[in-house]
Amino acid sequence: MSAVYKGRALIPGDASGEVLLSRRAFTFAHGVDPSTGRVTDVHSDIRGENVKGKVLFYPFGKGSTTSSAWFLETAREGNLPAAIVTEATDLSAVIGSTLAKIVYGKGIPVASSFPREMYSSLRNGKQVSLKGDSGELVVPG
Amino acid sequence: MHLDSAQEKMLRGEEGEAKQLAMEIITKVGEAMAADSLVPIKSGHVLAHYSSLHEAGIEMLERFAGAGGTFAVPTTVDPASIDLENWRSFGIPEDYAEKQFRLCRAYSKLGGIPCWTCVQYQVCNFPKAGETVAWAESSAVVFANSLIGCRTNKITSGLDLACALTGLTPRFGMLLDENRRARVSFNVAAGSLSDLDYRSIGFFIGKTAGARVPVLSGLPRDITSDEVKHLGAAAAAAGPATMIHFPGLTPGSATETDASGGEKLERLDIQRKDLESVEGELNQTMERPDLVAFGVPHLSVSEMGDLAKRLVGRKLVEGIKMYVYTSTQSFDMAARSGIKSEIEAAGARLTHTTDAEISPLKRLGFNVVMTNSAKLAEIVSSEGEVKTRYASTDDIISEVTR
Repeated sequence: MSAVYKGRALIPGDASGEVLLSRRAFTFAHGVDPSTGRVTDVHSDIRGENVKGKVLFYPFGKGSTTSSAWFLETAREGNLPAAIVTEATDLSAVIGSTLAKIVYGKGIPVASSFPREMYSSLRNGKQVSLKGDSGELVVPG
Repeated sequence: MHLDSAQEKMLRGEEGEAKQLAMEIITKVGEAMAADSLVPIKSGHVLAHYSSLHEAGIEMLERFAGAGGTFAVPTTVDPASIDLENWRSFGIPEDYAEKQFRLCRAYSKLGGIPCWTCVQYQVCNFPKAGETVAWAESSAVVFANSLIGCRTNKITSGLDLACALTGLTPRFGMLLDENRRARVSFNVAAGSLSDLDYRSIGFFIGKTAGARVPVLSGLPRDITSDEVKHLGAAAAAAGPATMIHFPGLTPGSATETDASGGEKLERLDIQRKDLESVEGELNQTMERPDLVAFGVPHLSVSEMGDLAKRLVGRKLVEGIKMYVYTSTQSFDMAARSGIKSEIEAAGARLTHTTDAEISPLKRLGFNVVMTNSAKLAEIVSSEGEVKTRYASTDDIISEVTR
């Protein structure tokens, strides 16, 4: 049985991919190499992993207001995650995705505010899908 | 989200393509953030430095400028990735400089004020309490909300241009009273404080508060606005903080009860061991530095005067560079007052229009940077290319000068 969790779709859209889960504050600024999609932030618990095509989960954003610019460059290079899911709304991801759509036609869905119990069902590498406008995340059993 | 008829016009493209693109960004973000309307701003502050904006950012600014956009409100700009006057003498490669100059040309075409500083509130952009602005630069956002008492969200790159071009910003987050109330309380209980301690306190609360707005008590009554600037910058570098209530300093927050709106808060003491743990985290090595960097955020002229005093009669050790980053106005005042020549007599250099955390440090050949800036140490150590040393001004000077 799949579990379906309800959150809030900030940037609507469908996406599916492997889970990449960080439990620490996350930023694209100085934290992701746009030319590869690899996480370079030494303070990140997913350093060395690649965000490209993944459904990226993190609790909240941190740091510099340049994060959306790094996000946009990652879009230009074609290395964005498939979707981003956060606990607290990360404005950088919302703006980054909006810019990526307007400038390069490459926006990705962004969602937040899922129930806490969802996180215990997530494992890195597990396939999940985020559903369109309803903000539902489907986690296969 | 409600748009009035003038805003609808912009969105339909009747005010030109640049304003249409900008409105498209603002409305999408506004809807995502559940804003009910767009509100006018008194000023913008935007980012236009190559090290973060990359090719994509150049294309974005040039697209706005090419579409005939001009800023609708007075707009200032964060530092560039190079010293725009003296870049050659700092060893910046020609091709790198040209990328930055493309951003400068686009920014200038948009009609921005060419201040190139992260402390615009100290030199050229002065909102008053209660006004709404749309500023990028996380440290300036904390200063604006916490000490000036004006209202701004942490406006990230792209939205910054869109707000400045339309003179509008979506009404959400820190523009709303209920989100500005303190939700966690910190009390400094760490004895007498060095310049480093203010930064470490900021870093600790930024990290510990998470998304909760903090109130911070227990600071000395004579804390300077420069110390608040560095404390706030460190907090914003460590987490999502956009405001800190300083009882007695923050407009509207005479007491902790005012700050929280009467709610009883979780109260955490900041002890010496907490500051030591920040130092441990930001000190990645004990190796000798090849660069000492002061001024992330930019130093004021009085801070440079203080540094000059500490450097009297001392000389920088061979093989180490010391750069002091400041705004153009403070650079000029330091030159006129003799502070610049005093600092240079010790072997250090003043630089303006740029800052260390957005400079190509690795490309310039630096491997270990030593600083009293928690913000710089956090950014550089996150990147992992250049190692960081994090120490007080006195400890730095005693190690790198004779």
